[in-house]
Amino acid sequence: MKKSFRVLSAFLTVGMLASFTACSGGNPMASSNSPASATPAASSQASAGDSSAAGSAAKQENVTITFMASQDWVQDAEIKLGAEFEKQTGIKVDYQIIPSNQYTSLLMTKLNAGEGPDIFGNQSGRFDIQTQLNVEKNAVDLSSESWVGNVDKDAAAELSVNGKLYGQPMGDVSAVWAIAYNKNIFKSLGIEIPKTYSDFKAACAKIKAKGITPIYECVSDGWHHTLWFPEMGPAAETATPGLADNLNNNKAKMADNQTMQTVLSQIKEMATLGYWGDNYMSNKYADTPKNFATGKYAMTVANQGLGADINKVDPKFKVDDVGYFVIPLADNQTLNVNPCGPSRFIYKNSKNVDAAKKYLEFMASDSSLKYLTENVSKFNKLPYSNAPSKYSDTIKEFYARYPKTGTVYQTAVKYLNPQWTEMGSDISALLLGEEKPNEVLKNIDKRRAEQAKTAKDPAWN
Amino acid sequence: MNKNKTYPFYFTIGALLLYTVLFVLPGIMGIGYSFTDWSAYSDKLNFVGFENFKTVFSADENYIKILTNTLLFTVVTTILKNALGLLMAVLLTKHIKFLNFHRGIIFMPNVLSTLIVGMIFTSILDPATGLLNTFFNSTGLGFFAKPWLTTSQFAFGSVMAVDIWKGLGYIMTILIAGILSISPTYYEAASIDGANGVQAFFKITLPLLLPTLATTTVLNVIYGLKIFDMVYAMTNGGPGKATTEVLYTAVFKMFSNGQYAVGTALSSVMFLFMVVIGFFMIRVMTKNEVVE
Repeated sequence: MKKSFRVLSAFLTVGMLASFTACSGGNPMASSNSPASATPAASSQASAGDSSAAGSAAKQENVTITFMASQDWVQDAEIKLGAEFEKQTGIKVDYQIIPSNQYTSLLMTKLNAGEGPDIFGNQSGRFDIQTQLNVEKNAVDLSSESWVGNVDKDAAAELSVNGKLYGQPMGDVSAVWAIAYNKNIFKSLGIEIPKTYSDFKAACAKIKAKGITPIYECVSDGWHHTLWFPEMGPAAETATPGLADNLNNNKAKMADNQTMQTVLSQIKEMATLGYWGDNYMSNKYADTPKNFATGKYAMTVANQGLGADINKVDPKFKVDDVGYFVIPLADNQTLNVNPCGPSRFIYKNSKNVDAAKKYLEFMASDSSLKYLTENVSKFNKLPYSNAPSKYSDTIKEFYARYPKTGTVYQTAVKYLNPQWTEMGSDISALLLGEEKPNEVLKNIDKRRAEQAKTAKDPAWN
Repeated sequence: MNKNKTYPFYFTIGALLLYTVLFVLPGIMGIGYSFTDWSAYSDKLNFVGFENFKTVFSADENYIKILTNTLLFTVVTTILKNALGLLMAVLLTKHIKFLNFHRGIIFMPNVLSTLIVGMIFTSILDPATGLLNTFFNSTGLGFFAKPWLTTSQFAFGSVMAVDIWKGLGYIMTILIAGILSISPTYYEAASIDGANGVQAFFKITLPLLLPTLATTTVLNVIYGLKIFDMVYAMTNGGPGKATTEVLYTAVFKMFSNGQYAVGTALSSVMFLFMVVIGFFMIRVMTKNEVVE
């Protein structure tokens, strides 16, 4: 009896061990067929294809590249182009679109954890891509790519660190954030384009008296209401020439600047007077065209594609029914330009660098740029020499009306753009009455100093 | 069976080793890191003493608010989930029609993903187009229609309410199991003695349910202190500055900003809270346990 037990247990032990060995032996076999291990092989095949016949549509199977971007950055037209790209190359693009108020946190967490997507979107900006994004560590140097020569020089400068280009512009940076207004409402109420803040307030009062909400604002997205402040940089610069340089050299503080205090007080005043309506805290940016088309709102902060976007939602609303003027807070009359915008970067530790490079090359081709310009209403001129232009008369007239231009502060001033979300929380705290303009500015100064110190900026250390 | 037989100590080594490597060691390392200037901007680590803790407790930062928010969330949700869960459990152990259907309905929110629930509720609680305010406005109850998630007055309460709604079913289920395990003979004896329903509840159900309630309290407290996804999906700490910011949303933001050291310092402070709370809860819970 005892003996048979022993024999049985020996059998069982051997069987168990065998099953373990079988499992562990089986694994490599199984995994060799998995997409993960197929990837390096496929990408090496891609690079071989590159060197042998540039531009040839050598099909790569089983490669999926991930592209993570904030909401509103990847246009529907780009996703359609992505499908075309897959057809031509066999490389599938998995677009991961993240709500805008969560994007920066998520991207930075992924990059800091060493688990970045193959391609990621980020705003350009020569200071921020170096200090915040750390492109030298996190992104692939794209300087030798075929499309680099076509990129607009100003746009390329905002994507370069130490002479190396790390990103590819994905949006139109010629557009500016301005007040878009419903021409019909303005005409019927006899309102002229405001040139000062008091004109602007008077216009809002007139509109509100008619039961129309003067301004559509959307705080819940976390980024849009923030625009009102740094986009007014040119106003501060006009009042205090050299302010941006002094801020960058730690010789000035925002809290000491009168224009900035004024801008923030006026933001608060507009909301308090009801010019932003009742639901500005919960409105959504994505609903702007839909709401604007209803005629219940007269103005909003938008770039020059809004007319076309509204026209898409409601064909009765003509593209040229939307006009533009600069945000007249602090009596600003300087056109607020920004050579920076959302851009594509390739993650340095990506296993699919070659496939990702192919995607970027595809997106910068003549036909893709043409397709994007034709199909994305807010794209008038992408920052490439081989991209077509489609400025309408309204937009040309708008740009011509403001001969003086100035760069917005999120680009001109260091350590401002990376704290966009926090700045947004501060401004919404201002709107809720939890903070005063002075406190908002002090918080911004404090975060700038913290970031400068951690980045070992000589002006702060 | 020999009750005096004690198993040798080395039987626990495997479990202890795993526990140490996976839980204790990272915990201690985390506390260690909170005394350094660890950040995403530098590869070097320098010892900075209590600098990060000073930041956490300094008056011009709102980390104290974050800690109190987390504790407030824990206390409120624990009490209400237990109280409402108990009420539901008592009701749903009576002889009523469609008993299991009712139980199922109340339990249902619990199986949904928190993020999805959060997103659905941001839409339901939208002040202009949301289902709730539309309902109030269309039934003449317009004065109840409030900006639920967009004012500091209502935001935190709304988040807690949704979390209670979602977690209620789970607590109720545990309490139903507790109630059903109480022998019906007690109730029979009580009714013979002329006890009414309320008396039976306070003299029989509640005392015998205390161990179960202790379990649900522990579960709720741990859940509350670790809350992240519900707040993240509904308000992401807003509106304004840290109105609904809780520990883990703050730590998440700090890590994404590359401020690892302050983030770990904040977690360490919370860890201390959890250890103290946990210690006392275990003491209270095991007080009446009989050792065989």
